[in-house]
Amino acid sequence: MAKESHFLEMSRQEEQPRSKYNWIGKSMKRVEDPRLLTGKGKYIDDIELPRMAHAAVMRSPHAHARIVSIDTSKAKKLPGVLLVMTGKEAAEVTGPTASFASPPVTQWAIATDRVRHVGEPVAAVVAESRYIAEDAIDLIEVQYEELPPVVDPRDAITSTGDAVLHPERGDNNVAMHRILNFGPLAEDFAKADHVVKRNLRWSRVAGMPMETAGAVVDYDEGTGKFTIYANTSMYNYVGWLIAVSLKVSASQVNIIPTLAGGSFGSKLFLHKVPTIAATLARAVGRPVKFIEDRMDNIMSSDNHASDRIYEAELAVKDGMMTGLRFKVIDDYGAYLQYGYGTHGNALSQVTGPYKIRSVGMELTAVFTNKGQQGAYRGFGSEVANFVLERLVDAAAAELGEDPTAFRERNLIEPDQFPYKIPTGNVYDSGDYPAVLKQAKTMLDYDGWRKKQAELRKQGRYIGIGVATCQERSVFSSTEFWFLNPNETPGFTLTSSPEGIQVKIDPTGKAFATINAPFWGNSPETMVVQILAEHLTMDPADISVSYADSDAGLNGTGPGGSRYTVMIAGAITGAAKKIKTKLLKVASHMLEADVGDLELVDGHVSVKGTNQKKSIPEIALHAHYFRLSMPLEDRELTSGIDATHVYDHPFTTMPKEDRSDLGVFYPIMGNMCHMPVVEVDIETGRISFLDYVAVHDAGTVVNPMTLKGHIRGGTAAGIGTAIYEHLHYDKAGQLTTASFADYLIPTAFEVPQDVRAGHVETPSPFTEFGIKGGGEGGRMGAPAAIASAVEDALRPMGIRVESLPISPRALREKIRESERLKA
Amino acid sequence: MNKIANVAEGPAIETVQINVEVNGVAYTRYVEPRLLLSDFLRQELGLTGTHVGCEHGVCGSCNVMVDGSTVRSCLVFASQLDNAKIETVESLGRVNALHPLQKAFWEKHGLQCGFCTPGMLMTAKELLDRNPRPTRDEIREAISGNLCRCTGYQTIIEAIYSAAYEMQGATNG
Amino acid sequence: MKPAPFRLERPDTIQALCRALAKHGDSARILAGGQSLVPMMNFRLVTPEVLIDINRVDGLDYIRLDGDALAIGAMTRHVTVKESALVKANVPLIAKAYDHIAHVTVRNRGTIGGNLSHGDPSSELPAVAICLDAKFVVSSSEGNRTVRAAEFFKGMFETDVSPGEFLSEIRFPVAARNQRFGFDEFSPRHGDFAIAIATVALEMKGDTCVSASVVHGGVREMPGQVADAEAALRGKVVSGEQVALAAKATASIEPTLQNYHGDAAYKSDLLRALTARALSQAIGEG
Repeated sequence: MAKESHFLEMSRQEEQPRSKYNWIGKSMKRVEDPRLLTGKGKYIDDIELPRMAHAAVMRSPHAHARIVSIDTSKAKKLPGVLLVMTGKEAAEVTGPTASFASPPVTQWAIATDRVRHVGEPVAAVVAESRYIAEDAIDLIEVQYEELPPVVDPRDAITSTGDAVLHPERGDNNVAMHRILNFGPLAEDFAKADHVVKRNLRWSRVAGMPMETAGAVVDYDEGTGKFTIYANTSMYNYVGWLIAVSLKVSASQVNIIPTLAGGSFGSKLFLHKVPTIAATLARAVGRPVKFIEDRMDNIMSSDNHASDRIYEAELAVKDGMMTGLRFKVIDDYGAYLQYGYGTHGNALSQVTGPYKIRSVGMELTAVFTNKGQQGAYRGFGSEVANFVLERLVDAAAAELGEDPTAFRERNLIEPDQFPYKIPTGNVYDSGDYPAVLKQAKTMLDYDGWRKKQAELRKQGRYIGIGVATCQERSVFSSTEFWFLNPNETPGFTLTSSPEGIQVKIDPTGKAFATINAPFWGNSPETMVVQILAEHLTMDPADISVSYADSDAGLNGTGPGGSRYTVMIAGAITGAAKKIKTKLLKVASHMLEADVGDLELVDGHVSVKGTNQKKSIPEIALHAHYFRLSMPLEDRELTSGIDATHVYDHPFTTMPKEDRSDLGVFYPIMGNMCHMPVVEVDIETGRISFLDYVAVHDAGTVVNPMTLKGHIRGGTAAGIGTAIYEHLHYDKAGQLTTASFADYLIPTAFEVPQDVRAGHVETPSPFTEFGIKGGGEGGRMGAPAAIASAVEDALRPMGIRVESLPISPRALREKIRESERLKA
Repeated sequence: MNKIANVAEGPAIETVQINVEVNGVAYTRYVEPRLLLSDFLRQELGLTGTHVGCEHGVCGSCNVMVDGSTVRSCLVFASQLDNAKIETVESLGRVNALHPLQKAFWEKHGLQCGFCTPGMLMTAKELLDRNPRPTRDEIREAISGNLCRCTGYQTIIEAIYSAAYEMQGATNG
Repeated sequence: MKPAPFRLERPDTIQALCRALAKHGDSARILAGGQSLVPMMNFRLVTPEVLIDINRVDGLDYIRLDGDALAIGAMTRHVTVKESALVKANVPLIAKAYDHIAHVTVRNRGTIGGNLSHGDPSSELPAVAICLDAKFVVSSSEGNRTVRAAEFFKGMFETDVSPGEFLSEIRFPVAARNQRFGFDEFSPRHGDFAIAIATVALEMKGDTCVSASVVHGGVREMPGQVADAEAALRGKVVSGEQVALAAKATASIEPTLQNYHGDAAYKSDLLRALTARALSQAIGEG
């Protein structure tokens, strides 16, 4: 499409990028770390309340079955057992969990009459210890009537009768079938001189943080109030939905966030675990701790990621990509908590960094007897990146062109921003050729091509991969619903704010309260660096805490690479108020006009003089000497504090007919990943010889932590590309349900050095021009690794069309190639 | 063997007596035979720095030192450890007096969510106790039984490498 | 994931251990290093009534030369075996295998006897023991009996140790100067259990192989000899060509142990490649 400058008029940016900063852009050590390093960080399992009891859940051994009967009598008699609760009993007091789908899909935290995937809870026990709770589970007798398991998503489309998971939603397992076309699609394919087709498979994986999900709940019978400790995000955004499930008012649930030992999306909004713990606590009359064990987490934490089958086509004319169309079947598993958000998300950057002008999507979302999809680093866009980059590589190969040269010609040019893509989303800014160029230089791309040719003569299979991908950041919320039926779009929310409270205490130190949890990112460090920049303070004088939902302001929390951008907006708003107050108080102290004052190096001074007051002096005055300031200024209340809630910097509504989805994910990062791999053709092992990852995440607040995200995300992407797979067999049993079989990369499976580079193209919409960078590594690595492996095996004519390319899967392809040759 | 009631109205659960030294403090405790060391440390002694990630011996988050060698604390019963000397992450440094390894992890950004970190630190400590100047390859080998989902390991290896040289410098200087 | 309740026995001596075993019979399991048993207990796949912890038993932790054998006490930790100069000098194949065995923390606790008694076909040491024709000393209150490695393993997670008995010592023949060894395996991640293992011991006279022991692991319910590969080497000058022939001969082993990470075709491919690599290693070209 084209440059659309008028969008710039919508910018609310107050702080433009600067050429020099005091704290932004510094690799400051994280303020979160000392307590984490010394074992003093409080994670959910570290919460201990007086009289606390422990819960465990009984999991379904079947993929699909009716619960005929549950006999809990033996379990109840076991000494130390306080409560045994079946799903039916729980449903008498607690309603279903939240769903963004429309129509909603009913999910009970504990299954009531039917289990829809292996590991789904069927009963829960509260006991004096987790050990006893598990003993009791062994004594519960459940009679099931097995139903046909639906495992292959293609079969789900034609399921009938007992194989239909949610009969109340229709007589098959298709959750949604939707066709959306944008731009001159038919024309582009009709006029193409070359059409590339690929059938692609992206398999089910999950974020799999080292810490599972958990909750500790105390129920106060006197007030009817629940205090919920949980390692969830979004507790200040949609946490009240837990109150709805518990059938109490939102004010009767206070959610207190604990540190989360990683999430990667998997703890975006935990509803099942806190709901189970709260239901049990209310019933048993004691605080209850429920921490998923690893089995619970792998099978039943509502955190599995995209599981898609694509038929995809790319139209090329005169060496330029023009149109992209695909049919995709997505296996959402047994329930549908986030609706089709992962496909909405992917449409934000579906055409990648390229000047592709038309897109067609036919989405078939299905239910199967597997764990429910949730969020995982990329939220569906990482899959779209993989699909597009596979097509781009294929086009370059089929046209006999170097894959970097083909890409370079097709990239959106730096002077074309803001750039509207066919779906309606807008890319705010970028310099894609610069990113590609830097990656090629850092890798010595041409040098590696020469080396590759030499080593190929020695019988070694070296591959150089390329992926030039988008890294959208800062979600607005329309993606969660705009793919719902136009007539019944459901809850059409359009807010995704982030709030902060900042106060200066009487000693002049700043104290910020944020409304989102720590889940492995660096929220405290970000706040400290950005607030220090604004208030010209020493970072050591700033501390940060986390609001619970009672005290909390609106805050959506981390996810969709949004937090740094959004909190920077909130800080900017709050700091402006603080600064105004500092100047006002100082003006009375210094007997000068506010207009003559400036805030420099932690002091308010009269411009051009040496008269000044330090922030501590002003703070003390503001807190305790009201009579020293004019009483008629009624705004001038004692103390210095401010709150600010920042809304999404740039978002618009989708059109009602969805011919244009509006602006919903515009803060657009970009990356180029270039791995060099070697394939051992006898075993299928893939090893890394080099890896370069260049990212553009706009203005960088902390280069060290951004690099951390890039490298960590790349490692996760390596897992997705090669090692990890939540694999269900034909009966719907999860065959990789332990860390011995679900293979998270160790230090040996990742490159020794992921060489990370930055290009900084500031956003014209966000404060200081910051963009998000939390998901980037995983959004690029799988595409890049697939590219490298295919490049390595080009002499054998092997295509990489399905992930993971496990050693077994790769060897299978090599064997087939050898057989054809022989 | 002793029999004590550990639940007010509950059964008499068979327990065994153990004497252990944890982070330099001597404890005498009666424990159920099946109590995992990880739960003993966390629940009985309140040493919650040791984290439980998988409870089947793969992730290494719960690694602690027993008599100078790391063990997966989810794969050892406390009841086995009579007379053992146990060290956990809490034995290293304090917030204001970090151990050189902790300092190096901080400086090199060797942690993000921090959940695997105590296990990593204890594994690194064992390595440096046995091999004060390891190569990067030796460090990779040593931590390959500890999963980290955040960092991609590179900065962890750098942190251990730099701590080793820092500690050597301190000893030699 | 917490283990079911059990009663604990903590014998200090071999005599007390024998008494405990005799007393509890098949209701008891022996707890050595626990690196395989305890995960299974945490999953509640194994729920013994009595657990006999043999970590305090005196006299089961040693490595010593005994005639023409290297005798290793069952409770010798992996770390001790891996680092033992005596092992490296006398049974170099064990040292080669240990490059692939687990991770440092597991090796600290896990024991050679516990590993072998577990009878896991994907584990390295059973294949090595068969390859070297090691002898297993099985003890009980009745005394000791010696079993050849090939007869010790009875099936997946099954051994010749009966209730009331325990594995007390493993005796590996000291390597002769004309013996050459090779070991290789494939696991998707470093340190994991193998998908396939190949290990070889060749007795050489000059360049000619006098006798060969070629053993597979990880592909069937038990590790075992690859007779066709051995035949392809016996009496031959071992060259690249012979290595390829022997590797090809592993096709006679039909993989029956399959899972997500390795199906039969893949395991066959691996066994062939690994056998070639182990042989090349043995003759010094790997």
